[in-house]
Amino acid sequence: MGQRLTGAEILLESLIAEGVDTVFGYPGGSIITVYDKLYSYQDRLKHILVRHEQGAIHAAQGYARATGRPGVVIVTSGPGATNVITGVADAMVDSTPVIVIAGQVGNASLGTDAFQETDVVGMTGPIDKWTYQIRRPEDVAPAVAKAFHIASTGRPGPVVLDFTKDAQVGVGWFEYEKCDHIRSYALPAPADEAALDAAAELIDNAERPFVVFGQGVVISHAEEQLKAFLKKGGIPAASTMLGLSALPSDFPYYVGMAGMHGNVASNMMTQKCDVLIAVGMRFSDRVTGTPSHYAPNAKVIHIDVDRTEIGKIIPVDVGILGDAAEVLERLTAKIKFSFHDEWAASARRYDAVEKAKVAAPETAPDQGPINMGEVVSKVAELSGRKAIIVTDVGQNQLMGARYSRFADTRSFISSGGLGTMGFGLPAAIGAKVGEPGRQVCLFVGDGGIQMTIQELGTIMQEGTAVKIIILNNNWLGNVRQWQELFFGERYSQTRLLNPDYSLIAKAYGIRYRCVSERRELDEAIREMLDAKEAYILDAHVVEMGMVYPMVPGGRRLDEILLNKDEWYRDGE
Amino acid sequence: MENSNMYIISVYSENQVGLLSSISNIFTRRGINIESLTVFPSEFPGIHHFTFRAITTERAAQQVVGFIEKKVEVVKAFCFPDNSTSAAEHGIMEEYLQNRNQ
Repeated sequence: MGQRLTGAEILLESLIAEGVDTVFGYPGGSIITVYDKLYSYQDRLKHILVRHEQGAIHAAQGYARATGRPGVVIVTSGPGATNVITGVADAMVDSTPVIVIAGQVGNASLGTDAFQETDVVGMTGPIDKWTYQIRRPEDVAPAVAKAFHIASTGRPGPVVLDFTKDAQVGVGWFEYEKCDHIRSYALPAPADEAALDAAAELIDNAERPFVVFGQGVVISHAEEQLKAFLKKGGIPAASTMLGLSALPSDFPYYVGMAGMHGNVASNMMTQKCDVLIAVGMRFSDRVTGTPSHYAPNAKVIHIDVDRTEIGKIIPVDVGILGDAAEVLERLTAKIKFSFHDEWAASARRYDAVEKAKVAAPETAPDQGPINMGEVVSKVAELSGRKAIIVTDVGQNQLMGARYSRFADTRSFISSGGLGTMGFGLPAAIGAKVGEPGRQVCLFVGDGGIQMTIQELGTIMQEGTAVKIIILNNNWLGNVRQWQELFFGERYSQTRLLNPDYSLIAKAYGIRYRCVSERRELDEAIREMLDAKEAYILDAHVVEMGMVYPMVPGGRRLDEILLNKDEWYRDGE
Repeated sequence: MENSNMYIISVYSENQVGLLSSISNIFTRRGINIESLTVFPSEFPGIHHFTFRAITTERAAQQVVGFIEKKVEVVKAFCFPDNSTSAAEHGIMEEYLQNRNQ
């Protein structure tokens, strides 16, 4: 038999029963009862007080991506709920398990335009995995149980619980029962044997097989299965941006990142392969270039846990619905030991060109201002590749993705599908809260940091030791890059007049150093990495920096710009 | 360019507040107009049956079905051209539910 508790207490007890020890949130009128009860739970539930609800959800996303456990957000109704919407959409497209508990007005006030009432169910339904309005205290525990089950199984995603005042203050029996089955929600079944056989046959007969993997590998803990599969089949592999760090950067079969700003080897090999095996990825247009010209010579095998992804963008020859770890393990058992040495080695030829034309000038220039890629590469080197790299969105993100090197999985956190500027700073806070033992380095632009800069207050109050590297070029750099390349250098509204970040750091009591000279860069990064507390490194980088190589939008993946005037030409 | 035809999209779901709105959003997002809609309790206890008619391509209709099925409360969704009968579909649903219950 359970206990009689208020709905607010049932919520907190249910969170604890699900193993939650940290929540991110912001109080308000319609959630004040929960915060009142939270006062008595401070020893069991750590609450991180953010400065804006958007910060709470991005922090929860960073927490979830770093730890693999769902992030929990508590906010109030009305503006509290609408402020988390961006993060809900972001978590949906990037398959991040997040549970949002939003206060709501009393049942009798629903639909009356009461103070801070808004249609949360209607707004979040199209952009989340599940929404539920809790109207009675006895519904709280089952709703929380379902929320955790739905958020963290299958293809993970955000869940929103719209928690009315009546359900918070009313009293009900509490007895927690975890949810492991919902009649209308099927968990991934074992993959179809015939599909696995068909895939194995294609792979065994391939001359130039190629794997492109995504975050699905990380989510399903399939890193070792992927390595075994690649080794047995002798298959080179590329990662999407969100798949980064699933394989160590120096893994022998790994050829780099796919897509618009990916590595030449990865994109050229995609176009040349005869069998493409896509694992836990969704063929984003940032990965495929023009979909109709993607991998034109390849039979396509698509492994995904989400049925709607298979065949959505790229028609498949074999679709395998299932969990990546299970599918890869069974597929590895079926395929023959193979070698494709010449094919796999072709990556090195592409790499040599990319290194000479793009990577070396970016990361190791001998004169001029500091480059963005140079900072990223140095951080990777001096942190021993052990840090969790968090990025915002834009050039900082592309440079962070291109020039970070990884030893461990779950080491790259970025807003992929939605491309949310302002994601970086709060996500880095969440990652550090979730993994306090790991170094967390954030690359953020001078534009993006100002979208959620208020979260420096959270760092100040919580003492979160995040290392913030501002790649400061006084531009909205990625849009400026597009304007330079495709809009005749008409720099419309991309020039930024920035605040003095040293004064901002001072106001928040955060250590700060500005670096603009190459000879100081190493030492400044070392000082930052050695700091026990939060640190802002304001790197004044080249103003008109560009991210190359680049497959311009609407082009094929083998149409690669190496710089403003030079296309990659194969065979040179 | 694929031809557009009238399709029937048939959905079996739990009876849940807000579900109709989020299913119809799946049509709206793709710019597909719903020509007609009926909702009623199905012959299966506790399960509702929605029938949408919409003019669209087969590929888009299949995608809509996939996204509708992703909704947690949706048990099963189908689409078929308007010219066939729904008898076959009822058979599939019956078999599906029986398999699930076993």
